[in-house]
Amino acid sequence: MRYVKLLKENFKDFFENLKKFGEVHAPVKRGNSFSFAKVDSPSEVALKYNRTILPPKKYFIKPFEEVLKIKVGKGYEPLVEEPKSLILLGLHACDINALKILDSIYLDEPPDDYYQIRRTATVIIGISCEPDDYCFCKSMGADYAWTGFDLFLHELDNSYLIRIGSSRGEVMIESMKNVISEPTKEDFIKLRDIELKRSRMFKKALNTSLLPDIVDSLYESDVWVKFSDKCVSCGSCNLVCPTCRCYDVTEKVELNLKEGVRVRRWDSCFIRSHALVAGGLNFRPTRLDRFRHRYNCKSSIEPRTNSPFCVGCGRCSAFCPAGIDHVDVLNAIWGLT
Amino acid sequence: MSSMYLPKLAKIVEVIEMTAIEKLFKLQFVNEEDAKSFTFKPGQFVEVSVPGVGESPISICKSPTRPGPLELLIRRVGRVTNAIHKLKPGDVVGIRGPFGNGFPMEKMKGYDVLLIAGGLGIAPLMSVLQYVVDKRRDYGDVILLYGVRSYQEALFRDMIIDFIRHPEKAGLRTFLSYEREDPVFVSLMKDHPENVRKGVVTVLFECADPYIKPDKVCAVVCGPPIMYRFVLKELAKRNIPPNNIYITLERRMKCGVGKCGHCVVGGATAIKYVCKDGPVFTYSDVLSVRGLV
Ligand SMILES: Cc1cc2nc3c(=O)[nH]c(=O)nc-3n(C[C@H](O)[C@H](O)[C@H](O)COP(=O)(O)OP(=O)(O)OC[C@H]3O[C@@H](n4cnc5c(N)ncnc54)[C@H](O)[C@@H]3O)c2cc1C
Ligand code: SF4
Ligand code: SF4
Ligand code: FES
Repeated sequence: MRYVKLLKENFKDFFENLKKFGEVHAPVKRGNSFSFAKVDSPSEVALKYNRTILPPKKYFIKPFEEVLKIKVGKGYEPLVEEPKSLILLGLHACDINALKILDSIYLDEPPDDYYQIRRTATVIIGISCEPDDYCFCKSMGADYAWTGFDLFLHELDNSYLIRIGSSRGEVMIESMKNVISEPTKEDFIKLRDIELKRSRMFKKALNTSLLPDIVDSLYESDVWVKFSDKCVSCGSCNLVCPTCRCYDVTEKVELNLKEGVRVRRWDSCFIRSHALVAGGLNFRPTRLDRFRHRYNCKSSIEPRTNSPFCVGCGRCSAFCPAGIDHVDVLNAIWGLT
Repeated sequence: MSSMYLPKLAKIVEVIEMTAIEKLFKLQFVNEEDAKSFTFKPGQFVEVSVPGVGESPISICKSPTRPGPLELLIRRVGRVTNAIHKLKPGDVVGIRGPFGNGFPMEKMKGYDVLLIAGGLGIAPLMSVLQYVVDKRRDYGDVILLYGVRSYQEALFRDMIIDFIRHPEKAGLRTFLSYEREDPVFVSLMKDHPENVRKGVVTVLFECADPYIKPDKVCAVVCGPPIMYRFVLKELAKRNIPPNNIYITLERRMKCGVGKCGHCVVGGATAIKYVCKDGPVFTYSDVLSVRGLV
């Protein structure tokens, strides 16, 4: 992979250059937490952050969106939006890997046009990070993004080493010749040392070998009961998860009863109606069923990316109002607590 | 936009009342291109939209071997299906699809075909039934086991009675079970004691056994969720290879194309989407995917 070097003192120029390629969105600090939002100057960007509440998926599958226009009694028309060039600056490796999992679903044949249009128009710029108490991306093999980005910024002390991950990234770097330079041998040694240090910083760990089989075969374990008793079925873990992608579809009609819209919005498998079918039969009637379902879904392997459906970002644990920790649950299944 | 999410308009050309809660709808695509490009396999389904109300997955209730309008047999159970039931010939609905894998009709060639339906389960199986009857020489014997609650609730009842009375004309052996007595079925049972039984669908195995050759038969099953376990147990008892037993399943569906996540089944070792990996599964799948039936 090709690397270039950006001195921190040139970050402002780098940022201004980015704006030429589209609207820049990056993590910003909101109270005690972080969220991805539109930014106009580098000072708004929180380059060092642990995790945003909502993952970048919100740019591609919207929490709520109108997909079709309805003419009652006549039919439907697509609501297509003009693709808007976006620069998502500052994604952590786990979120980049999560996007690859979403891609494997939403871009798989037949592709979801709404997702595809936005995904193609978006530049992904990653940034290196340090794990906190909730991160376990290393266990999930998601602490390093080897593809799925255009540029990836590795912070050294007074500079960034930028990995160029795509031809689009090359074009962008080409246009920034005056702000970048060639890295030195010492820079790569610094990078190595930082990565080694980072790799040793992870406190949370999950044993992932045979995990799908363990989770599936221990379906009857009392551990599920113990934890699901604490769960309040709020569905936050689904909303904040960068790989959760269920949506629900409804239609809304205007008061004139002539026009309306078909909308889709994020859904959660913790909600009772998620697996309900006609006649009132529910395939996951209890909270226990739904709880186990989520852990089974997250512990399974996406066949196209050959990676687990969990990237270890720690959001579900950090934002669970009942204090349920993803790794604690699975470690208990492993018999480690 | 290539959207698989955009319903194509279809006009209702005929509505046939089948029971108090079920109607058969015949539909013609409004746009000729849509009509021409619509091809399907037995066992596939479509998403039917009533603009302003919503969308529901419904099996295609006919075989591609038969020309003419698309046929859907729809039970009135909730918002969308109630709205569909209010529609008249000339009204339009939206159609997306066809979706799902369908039954492997090619693989079943040369085999006897044993169809086992419970109640509304006859709807998707009608596509297989018509297909094998129309391609009679490609398949061996055809046996239909149909279980219903009562005469009033039986679907295609005139056709079924005709099948039982004139098996040579029908080209298949038909067996019928019912739970609630009524004059028509009681007299049918008197005339055809070999074909008609009181009870749930599994009582029919006793009648059909002489005709079931386990190494030569493919079984195709559809019915209410509780039916599967009992039927599959009977089929397993008869040593029909698990790969020759096909079931078609129902789950909540929103997209039909593997995106919305509602129809996900299975445990961590095997996650399946009923909409695209199914709705047709084999008994082998049932043995390896958690919670399929
Ligand atoms: C592959 C496939 C093939 C199918 N083929 C056929 C077919 O050929 N013919 C056919 O008639 N049907 C078929 N179905 C079933 C059909 O899709 C459903 O009956 C239909 O979607 C119901 O939609 P509805 O809007 O009318 O009902 P809904 O309004 O969704 O309600 C259906 C029932 O679900 C319950 N329910 C729904 N939402 C809630 C809620 N929020 N809270 C509590 N209870 C709720 C209620 O008990 C209600 O009676 C098929 C389904 C699948 C998946
Ligand atoms: S966030 Fe916590 S309480 Fe809410 S549904 Fe998930 S596990 Fe349950
Ligand atoms: S399951 Fe939890 S830790 Fe894993 S990707 Fe989703 S939110 Fe992150
Ligand atoms: S119906 Fe949406 S994933 Fe199957």
